[in-house]
Amino acid sequence: MAQAVVQISHLQKNFGKFQALKDITFDVHSGEVFGFIGPNGAGKSTTIRALLGILKTNGGQATIFGQDVWKDAVAIHQRIAYVPGDVYLWPNLSGGEAIDLFLKLSGQKHSARTDALIKLFDLDVKKKCRSYSKGNRQKVALIAAFSTAADLYIFDEPTSGLDPLMEEIFQHQVLQLKEAGKSVLLSSHILSEVERMCDRIGIIRAGEIVETGSLADMRKLSRTNITVQTTDALDDIAQLPTVHGFQAAAKIANKASFAVDSEALGTIMTTLSAKHIISLQSTPPTLEDLFMRYYNQEGADGNAQE
Amino acid sequence: MAMRKNSFAKTGLLLRFYLRRDWLKILVWLIGLAGLMAAAAGKFDTLYGDAKSMASISTTLKSPAMVSMFGPFTAAKPYTSAIIYAAEMMVFMGLFTAMMNIYFAVKNSRNEEDNGVAELVSAHAVGRGSQLLAATIEIILINLIIGCVEALGLQASGMTGISANGSWLFGLSLAAFGIMFAAISLLCAQIVSSARSATMLSYGVLGILYVARMATDVKNPDLTWWTIFGWIEKLDVYHDNHWAPLLLMLGFAIIVGAFAFFIAGRRDVGSGILPTARGRRNASLFLAGPFSLLARLERTSTIVWLLGLFLLGASYGSIFGNVGDLMKTNPTMARLIGHAAVASANRVVVLSFASTLTIIFAVVASIPAMMTILRLNTDERKGYLEQLHARGVSRLRIFGTHMLFATLVGTATLVLGIIGMGIAGNATLAHPIDLSRYLRGFVGYWPALFVIIGITALIVSLVPRLQSLAWLLPVYGFFSLYLGELLNLPEWAQKLSPYGWVNQVPLKTIDWSTAGWMTGLGFILIIIAYIIYRHRDLKIN
Repeated sequence: MAQAVVQISHLQKNFGKFQALKDITFDVHSGEVFGFIGPNGAGKSTTIRALLGILKTNGGQATIFGQDVWKDAVAIHQRIAYVPGDVYLWPNLSGGEAIDLFLKLSGQKHSARTDALIKLFDLDVKKKCRSYSKGNRQKVALIAAFSTAADLYIFDEPTSGLDPLMEEIFQHQVLQLKEAGKSVLLSSHILSEVERMCDRIGIIRAGEIVETGSLADMRKLSRTNITVQTTDALDDIAQLPTVHGFQAAAKIANKASFAVDSEALGTIMTTLSAKHIISLQSTPPTLEDLFMRYYNQEGADGNAQE
Repeated sequence: MAMRKNSFAKTGLLLRFYLRRDWLKILVWLIGLAGLMAAAAGKFDTLYGDAKSMASISTTLKSPAMVSMFGPFTAAKPYTSAIIYAAEMMVFMGLFTAMMNIYFAVKNSRNEEDNGVAELVSAHAVGRGSQLLAATIEIILINLIIGCVEALGLQASGMTGISANGSWLFGLSLAAFGIMFAAISLLCAQIVSSARSATMLSYGVLGILYVARMATDVKNPDLTWWTIFGWIEKLDVYHDNHWAPLLLMLGFAIIVGAFAFFIAGRRDVGSGILPTARGRRNASLFLAGPFSLLARLERTSTIVWLLGLFLLGASYGSIFGNVGDLMKTNPTMARLIGHAAVASANRVVVLSFASTLTIIFAVVASIPAMMTILRLNTDERKGYLEQLHARGVSRLRIFGTHMLFATLVGTATLVLGIIGMGIAGNATLAHPIDLSRYLRGFVGYWPALFVIIGITALIVSLVPRLQSLAWLLPVYGFFSLYLGELLNLPEWAQKLSPYGWVNQVPLKTIDWSTAGWMTGLGFILIIIAYIIYRHRDLKIN
């Protein structure tokens, strides 16, 4: 793969005694969309703010374009565009003024693309920011970011206030960036969004990266969901170590759903066909399954995919 | 009846919550205001114990310059310490009581709406008017408590000439005066659409009323009845003890307060009754970086400050004719020293009054400068600055922008105050004084302003959570220099604030070495503040 645009190794950040980031390591490669997912409070925004040089880290290293995120913040920021999850704008500026100001601060101009984006996102730019809803404030930051010609785009839960129509437009714009060969770091907990757009994914939990890789790689490591009905009894299947979350259907005999470790799929299939399959459905693990599995790692291991 | 009950449901619960939330702030104000009154009262007998000092202070208090600051001295002989005390303290205490009320009124009404807390609260089973009613009751309680403690403190001081009737009149009148300004401020909070504007409007009203009472006091005290602020000067505490003005204040407070409730019931949460204008489609060419952004954000308030200080200066200047007229204010002395000497004595009187006023302008000019610097933190916490930080604007540039703008706005307000005073003063003087002479005051006090900016910057970068502490500087400066002379504060106490380090300009010549090292100190403080700011986390939300 091409060289890394963002490189983070063993990043740590404490707020007093609280360890917000314990060990963050991942790279964003040039030209890829990297999905950064994790529950609330896991450290997504803290990682991004550390990347922006807004927070000073306590350990580890982070570079963007090979430059130190704290020392060379200004040089880095001239080549990136950023949209936070909660956009706050000066209440007495109009949306149009805020967009233009943001563009100028990045050394850019209000272009035809800006106007096109304003139209696309359907924003009333003459309104004062004080009267904007959360979604409209996000649109201001998104319009400014998408009309900025940057090398790296960082989005921190950018669609949390947008309606589904606008979310669609957002996804379309990100895919266009990807086509244009830009790098994107997208933090989100809308998994369908990540699944659709991202080449690679990093999962963060309680200040630690627990998994990184492409969705396909992760699927291999994960489990496939199977719902099956056979003529012979399924009881012995439940005992197999590679089968998780076995649940027999309440009313239909010899019908059950369970999850299988992906590498054991072949063996299970052989066992099942010996029992004469009547019907079988198999679904690949969704990102949500992966996500839930990493979430609930402690304790409820087998039920993760239910 | 059911309607009415519903619209104020759960007021008691909210009130208890507000009191529990604010008790520390209330305590600080209580100790500050009542403590100051009691401490001063305890000192008065030693200050004005003998007939000679009594005669001298009563002559001083009758001079127009003193009348402009403390109100007319109307008491009849025999004077007592208590009478002098009431004359010296009333206007000053009124001013600070009004400030406290603006603070609490805006904080508990408009600020709650700005934060979105009001919306959350009103979504519960809480009446439409409950939050405003709870805030109002809280403010009334605060004023009553502080007023009573003040009265008890006065009684405990045992000043000569004190009476229970007078002490209670003093304390309760301050309470009524405070409630009146709380009502005005609550009304302002209904009219405009943000806490900032509400505070500005309230201070605007306070400033206009204060200046109006100054002008009428000097020219014709009877007209002071029309200035509202002047009602506390009409109490004649420790002499005739008139209770009528107190009732007048309460009546006025009820009318204004009722009006505030009337508007509050008819507007939407989070908006004022003045409509928000549509904005521009695009940013102007001018709006292109952090500095122009700050200038754009501070535009209205800067204009108000510049204009306000110029007018404050001009109103003080307009009484120079009265101040510098020894023939009228002290005919015996004027006849004694002769015609030529009177002219030069008049000049000295005017210039020494100008020196006192210059301090006031310097303290007032610190306020917009400090507000700009404190913005660095408040805007950071509100998340406004996140986009700036993320967009290639260095911390040095953001920090430097705030320092530069603060210095410019402080400098400009100070200059305009002095120029306003000079121009209006010269118009009333038979022998005008060169404007450059008045501007000595600017050169002398600018370094103090700059040190204040430096200290504020240091507080902002070092202890962002406690940044309100910075306000102690102008408050203490104002107190020590407004009252310090009359209370005979020791020299070290007057030198606790940078304003006290400057000599009496424009009466005296400029002390260049002091001006030099103070300016240097200002720079050093700002540099240290930047180094700390550079290395700390930025807090967002």
